[in-house]
Amino acid sequence: MGKKKTLTLLSSALALTMLLTGCSDSEEAGEASGAAEKEIKFMHLWPEGSSKKHFDVVNEIIAEYEAENEGVSVDLEVLSNEQYKDKLRVLSTSGDLPDVGLTWAAGFLEPYVGGNMFAPLDDVIEEDLSDAFVSGTTEAYAMDGSTYGLPLELNIVSLYYNKAMFEEQGITPPETYEELETAVKEFNDAGIQPIALGNRDSWTGSMWYMYLADRIGGADVLNKAIDRSGSFEDPALVEAAAKTQELVDMGAFVNGFNGLADEEAKSMFMSGQAPMYLIATWDLPNFTTNESVPQEFRDSIGYLNFPTVEGQGDMSSFVGGPGVGLFVAEESEVKEEAKDFASYFVKAWGEEAVTKAGVIPATKVDAASLDLPEMYVDILNELNGATNITLFADVQMSPDVAQVHLDSIQALFGNQITPEEFAKNHEEALSKE
Amino acid sequence: MNGMNKVMSNKFYIAFYIAPALLLLLILVFIPLVLSGYYGLMDWDGIGEKTFIGLENYITGIQDKLFWNSAFHSFLLAIFSTLSLVIYLTVSFILASKIKGADLLRKIYLIPMLLSSVAIAQLWVKIYNPSNGILNVFLMSIGVENPPLWLANPSIVLFAIFVPILWQYAGFYILIYYAALKNIPESLIEAARIDGASAFQIATRIKLPLIKEVVSVTIVLAIVGSLKYFDLIYVMTAGGPNGASEVMASYMYKLAFSNYNFGYGSAIGFLLLIITLIVTLIVRKLTETKDKLEY
Amino acid sequence: MGRIGYFFLYLALIIVGLFQILPLIWLFLFSLKDNNEIFAGSPFALPSEFRWENYAKVWDGGIGTYFFNSVWITILAIILTVLFASMAAFAITRLKWKLSGLVLGLFMVGLMIPIHSALIPLYSMFLSVDMIDNPFSIVITYTAYNLPITLMILLGFYYTLPHEIEEAAVIDGCSIHRMFFRIILPMTTPILATTVVINMIYNWNEFVFVNTFISSEKYKTLTVGIQNFIGQYMTDWGAIGATLVISVLPIIVAFIFFSNKVVEGISSSAVKG
Repeated sequence: MGKKKTLTLLSSALALTMLLTGCSDSEEAGEASGAAEKEIKFMHLWPEGSSKKHFDVVNEIIAEYEAENEGVSVDLEVLSNEQYKDKLRVLSTSGDLPDVGLTWAAGFLEPYVGGNMFAPLDDVIEEDLSDAFVSGTTEAYAMDGSTYGLPLELNIVSLYYNKAMFEEQGITPPETYEELETAVKEFNDAGIQPIALGNRDSWTGSMWYMYLADRIGGADVLNKAIDRSGSFEDPALVEAAAKTQELVDMGAFVNGFNGLADEEAKSMFMSGQAPMYLIATWDLPNFTTNESVPQEFRDSIGYLNFPTVEGQGDMSSFVGGPGVGLFVAEESEVKEEAKDFASYFVKAWGEEAVTKAGVIPATKVDAASLDLPEMYVDILNELNGATNITLFADVQMSPDVAQVHLDSIQALFGNQITPEEFAKNHEEALSKE
Repeated sequence: MNGMNKVMSNKFYIAFYIAPALLLLLILVFIPLVLSGYYGLMDWDGIGEKTFIGLENYITGIQDKLFWNSAFHSFLLAIFSTLSLVIYLTVSFILASKIKGADLLRKIYLIPMLLSSVAIAQLWVKIYNPSNGILNVFLMSIGVENPPLWLANPSIVLFAIFVPILWQYAGFYILIYYAALKNIPESLIEAARIDGASAFQIATRIKLPLIKEVVSVTIVLAIVGSLKYFDLIYVMTAGGPNGASEVMASYMYKLAFSNYNFGYGSAIGFLLLIITLIVTLIVRKLTETKDKLEY
Repeated sequence: MGRIGYFFLYLALIIVGLFQILPLIWLFLFSLKDNNEIFAGSPFALPSEFRWENYAKVWDGGIGTYFFNSVWITILAIILTVLFASMAAFAITRLKWKLSGLVLGLFMVGLMIPIHSALIPLYSMFLSVDMIDNPFSIVITYTAYNLPITLMILLGFYYTLPHEIEEAAVIDGCSIHRMFFRIILPMTTPILATTVVINMIYNWNEFVFVNTFISSEKYKTLTVGIQNFIGQYMTDWGAIGATLVISVLPIIVAFIFFSNKVVEGISSSAVKG
C-alpha cells in the first residue's frame, strides 16, 4: 500500500512536469502558426514602479510603432538597473541577447562589440538619423570606425546648491575654487556639513576628481591619460588628486562619505542637511517637476557650473556624456525590423522624453518650442554653449581599469593613498591593457 | 539479522531512494560546477572567443593579493560565525528548558531570519548612517564627539558588517538546535535529574553529547556558508571602501560580472570551492564522532 | 538558580527579543514613508504622514500575480526538496551500500558552490533544453540547490534514530517503503518542519535565479516585484518597503504554523523513542 502511494506521488509529480512543459510547448506552437508575425524582443530598465513616466513613453512609442507596422510586434522585458546589467551579461554568454536593448557607452560596450554581439548601426544613422544627434554623442558608442549604439540620454554634471541655506548663512555661491574653500569653511563653522557626497558608489567621487582635472589641466589631459597618449602622472592630474584630498582634509564632504550610497547623500541634500551636491542632469526632475518633493525645496535649488581653480579652467567645459543608448543584436533573427524599430524609437524619444519624463535626450530638441521648466531651458542652453564634454572616466575606461579607477578614488578620498600612488595605480592598470 | 541486511542492501531500494536527489544534484549542481572549472582554464570575457590557457588563471589566482585579501576576510567571517554558534547554542538551551514564555521568545528570536537580505541590508545601512543613524545619534547623545564612521572606516567596516550577518543567522541555528534539543527523550533527562544532576550538568553532560552530530553539522554549515557569503556585504558596501570588506564571493562576482573577466572569475570561484572543501574536511576530521549515538 | 538569577535571565531574554522584533516595526514604518524620510530621518521615527499610497502603488504594480507565483513555486520546491532529501538521508544513513560515503561527499561539495559561478552555465543548460522562461526551471533549480543543506540538517537526526525501528519493522514483514513513509517520516516531523521553514525562507526570498531565468511578467515572483521599484537613477524605497511588508506577512504566518509543528511532532515521537 505504501508503495502504491509513492508511485502515485511520483507519477503525479511527473505529470505535473509534463503539464508544465506541455504548456510551454503548445504556446510556442501558437506563435509559430502566426508565422507572418515578426516579434522584436526589447529589454529596457525603466520599470513601471520606479520610472512610470519613462515606462509610459516607451509603451506609447511601441504602440505607435506596432500600429504603423502591420505584422511586427514588440515583446517587452523590463528589469531594474543592476539586474539589467547582470542579465545582459548572462544572456550574452549564451548568445541569447534581445533583438533591441539598452547599452552604456564606451567601456561597457567594448566586450560586446569585441564578441560581435552588437550590430553596427552606421547605416541607420546615415539613412535616418544623419542630423538627429547632438554632436559628440554617437562617438561614445563608436569602436574601430563603426557606431554600435543610438544614444538616448545626455547628462552633464553641475554643482547644485541650496540657495536658501546660502542666504541664511550669508555665503556667496562659489564660482572659483577659492570661494568654494571659503564656503566650505563658513558652513563648517556654522555646524553644517557642506557637500553631500555618497562615495560608496565611487563614480560620485570620480566626478569631483574629473572636474578638478579639467579645470587644472584643461579638457584633454584626462582623456589623453586614458587613451594612453598622455599619463596619469601628468602634473595636472596629480595636482587634481592633491586638490581632492585638500577638500577632504578641510571637511568639505559629509561625514563617512566613503560608506554612503549616492542615494543617502542625495537625501541629505534634499532634506536640507547639506547645501551642495555635485550630480548629473538625471536628477533635474527632483529639483523641478517631481511633485513628491516639496515645492519649497524645489524653488530653493540653483545650479553652478563647476568653479575655476586658481583662475584656470573653462567653465563651459563639462563632465558628463550620454547615458544609455539602443543596441541591435548582431545575431537577431529580425535584424532589419529591429534596426527599423530602434531608429523609429530614437526619433520618437527625444521630445517625448524631455517633456514627459524629464530626460535630456541625446537627440537635438528645440528647447524654445517646448514647455519646459526654467532650469531645463538653462541647462539645455549650457549644453548648446558647451566647449567640451568629458565622458565619465569609469565609462571611458575598459571594465578592468574602471574597477581600479573606482577603488583608487575611494582610497584617495579616504586618504589611504597619496596623489602619486593614485597616479601609479592607474598607470599600472592601463599599461596592462 | 541476515534477512534485515538483505532488505536494507537491496539495490532497487537504494536506487529508488537516492536517485531523485542525486540526479538533480549531478545535473543542476555538478555540471555547472565542472563547466565553471573548465571556463577557468580559458582566457574569456564571457562573450567573445575562448582561448585555452591551461592553469594560468589558477596560478594568477594563487598569486593574487586581492584574492587572498578577500579570502582572509572570508576566513574571519567563518571564525566569527563558528564562535557565535556557542551563543546560539546557549540561547537554545535556555529556550528548550522549561521556562515560561519560551515558545513565544523562540518565535520572536527567529524573526530577522524571515526577512530578505535586501530588507536587512537597508535596515543596517540606516543604523550605521554616520550622521543620522541611530547608533551614532545615540553615541553623540552620550557625549562621544567623533563616533566611528562604521561603513567608511576601512579598519572597522568588516566587523561592522559581521554584526548584521551573525544577527541574521541567529534564528537559523536556534531553529535547528531547538528541534534537536526537543528531540531528546524526556525520560533521559528525568533520570539524570533524579540522580541529582544540576541543570548545568544535564546540559553539558547529557544534552550536549546527544546533539553532538547536529552541532558538528551546524559547524560545517556555518563555515561553508561564511566562506561563500555574498548577499549583505554586496548590498551594504559592495566590498568597499577600497576592498576593505571584500570577500571571496564578492570578488568573484566583481571579476566575472563587472569586469568581464569571466575566465578568471570562474577560476576564482573554483578556488573558493577548493578552499572551502579543504577547510570542511579538516573541520570534519576534528569534530568526527567515533561512535554513532542513539537514544 | 535563585529569583534574582531568573529576573536577570528574563531581562536579558526580553532585551534580545526586542532587538529581534524591532526590524518588523522598522519595516512597517519604512513602508509608510517617502525616500526623504527613509534616508534622512531616524529609522524609528514616525512618518510625517502615513503614506498608504505606497501600498496602493504596489497593488497596482500587479503584485497579485507575483504573489501567486511565489506561493506555488515555493511550495512545490519545498515538497520536492524535503521529500527527496529525506529519501536520500534514509538511503545514506539506513540502507547499506558501498558508495554511500562518496554520495554524501558529493552532497557536501554541492553545499559549497557559489551561485554566481553556477549561474551562467545553468542558463546555457536551460536554454539548450528550451526551459528558459519556464517556471519549472526555477522549481528544479531551487530543489537542487537546497537539497544539500536540507540533507545535512536531516542527517544529524537520521543518525540518532534507533536501529530497532528497522529491525522491528522488517521482522513484522513491513516493506521498506512502508517503513519510510509510515514510520521514519512521521518520526522526523520536528526536523522536517525545521527544514520546511528554512527552505521556505530561501525560496521565498530568492531572486538571482528568477531574475535570470524568467522574463515573462506572468511568471515573475515577489522578489522580482521589488525590483520593479528600482529605477535607473531613482528608487522608490517606500514602495519597496510596502512590498517587503506584504511579502513577509505570509511567511510569518507559515512560520508560526510550522514552528508549532516542531514542538507537536516531538511530543508524539518522544513517546516512541
